[in-house]
Amino acid sequence: MSERDGKFVLPIGPQHPSLKEPCSFKITLDGEVVEKAVVEIGYNHRGLEKACESRTFVQDLYIIERVCGICSHAHTSAFCRCVEEMCGLLVPRRAEYIRGIVGELERLHSHLLWLGVAAHEIGFDTLFMYTWRDRERVLDMLAAIGGNRINYGVNTFGGVRRDLEPELIAEIGRVMDALEEKLKYYFELALVEPALIGRLSGIGILRPEDVRRFSAVGPVARAAGIMDDTRIIEPYGVFREIAVNGVTDDHCDVYGRTIVRVKEMLESVRLIRVMLRELPDGPISVKAPRRVPAGEILIRVEAPRGEDIHYVRSTGGDMPDRVRVRAPTEANWHGMSYMLEGFHLADVPIIIAAIDPCYSCTDRAVRLTDAGGSSLHAWEELRRLGIERYQSLGIDPSGIRLREFPRG
Amino acid sequence: MGLVDKAIAWGGRNSPWIIHFNAGACNGCDIEVVDALTPRFDLERLGILQQGSPRHADVLVVTGAVTLQTRERLKEIYDQMSTPKFVVAVGTCACSGGIFDGCYCVTGGVDAVIPVDAYIPGCAVRPEAIIHAVDALLKAKLPKAAGRLKKDKKAKPDRKEDAAHDGAGNDQ
Amino acid sequence: MTEQETINRLNAQFPFARAVSPRRMRVFTDFMPPRQFEAVLRFARDELGYGKGEHIVGTDEGEDLGFSYIVSNGETLLVIREKVPKADPRVRSQYALYPSLLMHERELVDLFGADMRELPPGPSYPLPDGWPKGEYPLRKEWNPAYFNKNTMRYEPPEGGGEAKT
Repeated sequence: MSERDGKFVLPIGPQHPSLKEPCSFKITLDGEVVEKAVVEIGYNHRGLEKACESRTFVQDLYIIERVCGICSHAHTSAFCRCVEEMCGLLVPRRAEYIRGIVGELERLHSHLLWLGVAAHEIGFDTLFMYTWRDRERVLDMLAAIGGNRINYGVNTFGGVRRDLEPELIAEIGRVMDALEEKLKYYFELALVEPALIGRLSGIGILRPEDVRRFSAVGPVARAAGIMDDTRIIEPYGVFREIAVNGVTDDHCDVYGRTIVRVKEMLESVRLIRVMLRELPDGPISVKAPRRVPAGEILIRVEAPRGEDIHYVRSTGGDMPDRVRVRAPTEANWHGMSYMLEGFHLADVPIIIAAIDPCYSCTDRAVRLTDAGGSSLHAWEELRRLGIERYQSLGIDPSGIRLREFPRG
Repeated sequence: MGLVDKAIAWGGRNSPWIIHFNAGACNGCDIEVVDALTPRFDLERLGILQQGSPRHADVLVVTGAVTLQTRERLKEIYDQMSTPKFVVAVGTCACSGGIFDGCYCVTGGVDAVIPVDAYIPGCAVRPEAIIHAVDALLKAKLPKAAGRLKKDKKAKPDRKEDAAHDGAGNDQ
Repeated sequence: MTEQETINRLNAQFPFARAVSPRRMRVFTDFMPPRQFEAVLRFARDELGYGKGEHIVGTDEGEDLGFSYIVSNGETLLVIREKVPKADPRVRSQYALYPSLLMHERELVDLFGADMRELPPGPSYPLPDGWPKGEYPLRKEWNPAYFNKNTMRYEPPEGGGEAKT
């Protein structure tokens, strides 16, 4: 903690217990109130976009899936759509339905994950444990469909890789019944639990005009009453046949974002039921060519956190010329400092959590400088400083050897 | 071995505290690490506790390929931990750089930066694998390993499909 | 405003923009020099209602750098593009028009080497500390195989080496 003009500048991160991912914040405090917040990201910049340019489209699909482990299906759906549209492939209806089912299951797992993390940030660990327990059922279903709990690899160019067997369809239906009961309980909890309402209401406010100014997307925009849902604005795949009932809320704060996400989960349960019931027969994929015709394409897909935009350009070979990913978190960052300013330090974790930030999405090719880093010292340097200080007091500890515990 | 070392080994064996660091992961392994701490897998019943400060932790759990920007931070956190300390590389990326190896901003696996005691491959790693690895690590590394972390107490998944999916976790 | 109306109004006002719509809800303009680009961008925001700054895609166009600004009116995505020579990549930041594109503009500076004027002060993004000056990883001639991560130096073999992509 450093002092500047009587104000405290508090560096948080990059490794911090309330942040599951590397990111650092420099928060200027006036007493308990946040006066200025500077977000510093980029620890997760790996250089994926360059890597995509030197691999084939099929190989890129697996890189794109690992842009983010939480919304991996949304990213591959967008990338597959790019390639399919450039090649003029017609994806079979059954494949579109399976993509839709996996996409909504992913939304369920992502929102349950968020609800748990948000509950944890406000010290409501019971809810955290409850939601993560329920989330396991969703992960079981994803694992049953794709064979893996995370990065299920369901999408491929021209369709999907896994079909749904009748037993699995019945099992997903049973899980949805069980989950719906729990979700209704959480929804009631959010409506009546005074501690939850008191803790979430009125913080991290982003009004509709601010949403427009900062171009926020997803649940953050919808909590301000703006219907920003790609599944409704520009229906794709299965959503051309099955209409989504959009969810909005007018609280404009963290509480509103919670309500939106819980309602969205109930809507996802409904959508999954409809898709399972109407699942058409037929093939699940068509053959995709290795080479993609020259051209460029811009595709958007609704990821759990908001609109996900992919740009792909091909020169006619089997490798893309350029791949660019705009993850939803990237759009929601801009309003972050604004949302934090004027609120208490204790509310900072939950306000940050409320946009459901995903740094691996944002930093895929990406770092904000670590000004707080200047106050950090490497261990050796700290030891040297300590020795110098004691030497100035007339004691020489430099002869003391650090005792190493035997390793392996 | 002195009494202090014995006490430390006893504590570490029976209640290892872990700290989690994301060095540039896709998030998949991170949520599985958190998942291992929640009701179904519940690492805490084995005395394993997640800690916020590196100074309190015995085991550093690192996920993800190490990016150039986190490289120095990872070293700092490792240096801040008190001995005995162990490092677990969780996930294929943390083991070798995985799919991100060769990207201009990726150093490689965790062992390119700090010494690693246990490698858990997988994309993403399953929570069962994390529990198994921490268990095996502490048995192997801490003297007189016995205590409560016995193999028969390893987490038993409570669902049927698991048998079918184990081993077929990542077939991409 | 639909894509057809957008094309009509853009092309009537700025024939050099050569706006086309390859598919529903998408409009692409041609690459333009910075001064014309700025006029089109301002027109799209103030007159056509494209107020939402979504994204910027930087591309390597051989001798030039292309910057495609993607803006939207809540429905249609409009891509307005500018092109500057690699040898002299001077462009102006559009922060005043689209504050939400700030981070993407910083990316253009770091990854493509755009000489972005009037960019608000702030940290660079997204390359790590100690990244060598003058190395722009998303330019095609830059090959990650020649980048030494320990010395943080770009070391192509004699003759410049081959571009990887």
